[in-house]
Formats: sequence, structure tokens, C-alpha cells
Amino acid sequence: MLMCKDLAGIASDYIDGELTGRRNLSVKMHLMMCKHCRSFIGNLRASTDLMKAHSSSKPDGEFIRRIDERVAEALKTRKPRDGDNE
Amino acid sequence: MNTAVHPDPQGSLIEDLKRGDSSAYKKAVREYSPGMLAVARFYLDYSSAEEIVQDCWVTVIDAIHKFEGRSGLKTWLHRIVANRCKNKLRSSKREVAIDFSESLEPELANRFNATGRWDLPPSLKFHESADTLMENDALSDCLDKHLSALPETQRSALMLYEAHQHKSEDVCNILDVSASNLRVLLHRARQKIFLMVETFQETGEC
Ligand SMILES: [Zn+2]
Repeated sequence: MLMCKDLAGIASDYIDGELTGRRNLSVKMHLMMCKHCRSFIGNLRASTDLMKAHSSSKPDGEFIRRIDERVAEALKTRKPRDGDNE
Repeated sequence: MNTAVHPDPQGSLIEDLKRGDSSAYKKAVREYSPGMLAVARFYLDYSSAEEIVQDCWVTVIDAIHKFEGRSGLKTWLHRIVANRCKNKLRSSKREVAIDFSESLEPELANRFNATGRWDLPPSLKFHESADTLMENDALSDCLDKHLSALPETQRSALMLYEAHQHKSEDVCNILDVSASNLRVLLHRARQKIFLMVETFQETGEC
């Protein structure tokens, strides 16, 4: 039988839909009976969403500025190609 | 000259990059550099990683005409970064050291009793959406702190998979890890974020 600790070990796989067949079913069965694990799965999912909302926000300005400089420099010496505008 | 109409915005961005249009580069640099840095950080320390990303953009200027669009631009850029990093590691004869042995964080593993049931169950309650929660500056700062404290390998895996929404097989390819090892990296990183948010919610402290 799948115990809470086993479920915690594969919780991300369950969330991402990576579990198949009997294993997926045994997680579903466990979740029906165990509110702590339901809470854990919900928490893990919410934490992941939080991370996603957080990290999609801001690139580091200094880092971007330095790339802009290198790119601008390199564009000056870029070899023209077919298909370029005149 | 090319007058093709591109129904998808990425297509026209790529055409502009191919022409060497500087504002197209500015746009692309902003959009793609954070992900490229996440890839490089998997392999290298911060300053080497940053340097590699800069070098890659310079390479892109001459290489973009070879881009055929079989993969997305993002995946293509991430692969260029990954290959450069691997070459650099190879020439310095170093390897990325990763611990794949345990899928449970020790701090979480301690919360079960001997029979494998929860001893100290999760206490988090989410009443608000992720976006609303992120308006809490203290929580946002705390998340920053913990994200930067993650092992690079876990953070890169998490960033590429979640924030940059690559498919698993692309992430495995870019980071050169097996599918099962990617699962371990992702799960370890998510548990750490969960534990951090839980502590924050319970104590108000980071
Ligand atoms: Zn349980």
C-alpha cells in the first residue's frame, strides 16, 4: 500500500501527469482517503505557481544592459547578407 | 528583399534578427536572456555564465541566418548556450556534480512517522492566487532569497521547466540529464519552495 511518505516522494510526478496506470491510480485512491496528502499536493502545486508568477517578472537590468552593449558593438561589424535591406 | 507576411510574431522577429535590426535584438535580448542565463547557470558559476550568454548573442548575429525554425527560437538559443557551456566544462575538465539519490528533502522526510504517515502534516493555506500573493513584497523578497539559495542545478531545472515552459525532453536535452534525474531536480526544488512558503506563512519570517 502507498504510504504518505511514498506519495510525497512522487508528488511532483503526479502533479505533472507523469504517473501512469496502477501507480497513478494508487495515488488517486490515497488522496481520496488522506486529507494531509491532499493538502500537500495542493500546497506543492500552489508553491510551484507562486514560483512561476515570481520568476517570470524581472530580468536583471545590469545584465541586460551589458548584453545590449556587446550586441550593438557586434552589429556594427556584422557581415551584410542576401536579403538585407539596402 | 523579403516581403513575406508573417502571421506569427516570432516569425517576423526572426526575420528582423536576420536583417541585423538593432531594435529586434533589444527585444529578443530582453525576452530570451533570463532563460539563457538559467541554462548557463546549470553548468557554470555566475560570472562565467553571464559571459557565455553575452558571447552567445554575438554568435547569434552571424548564426541566425542558419536558423530554420524546426525548433522554437527559445529552444535553439538555449541549445547554443548549453553547447558552449559543455565545451567550456570539457576544456577545463570539470563536471557538474549533482545529487540524484533522494527524491525527498531531508526536512520533509523528517515529518513522517515510522509507518510512513504524516507526523507533522503540511499547514499551508492558500486563500489568494499566486499573482495576488506576489504583491506581498516580503514574500517576494523571501522567494528571491530562497530561489537564489537553491543549488544551481535545481534552480535551472525549475526555471526552464516552469518559468520558460520547455517540454521535459527539451530540458533533458539542454541540461544533459536523464528524464528520471530531471524529475528529482524538479521535485527537490519544489519541496524547498513549499517549505519556505510554509515557514513564511506560519512565522511571517523568511
Ligand atoms: Zn497520506
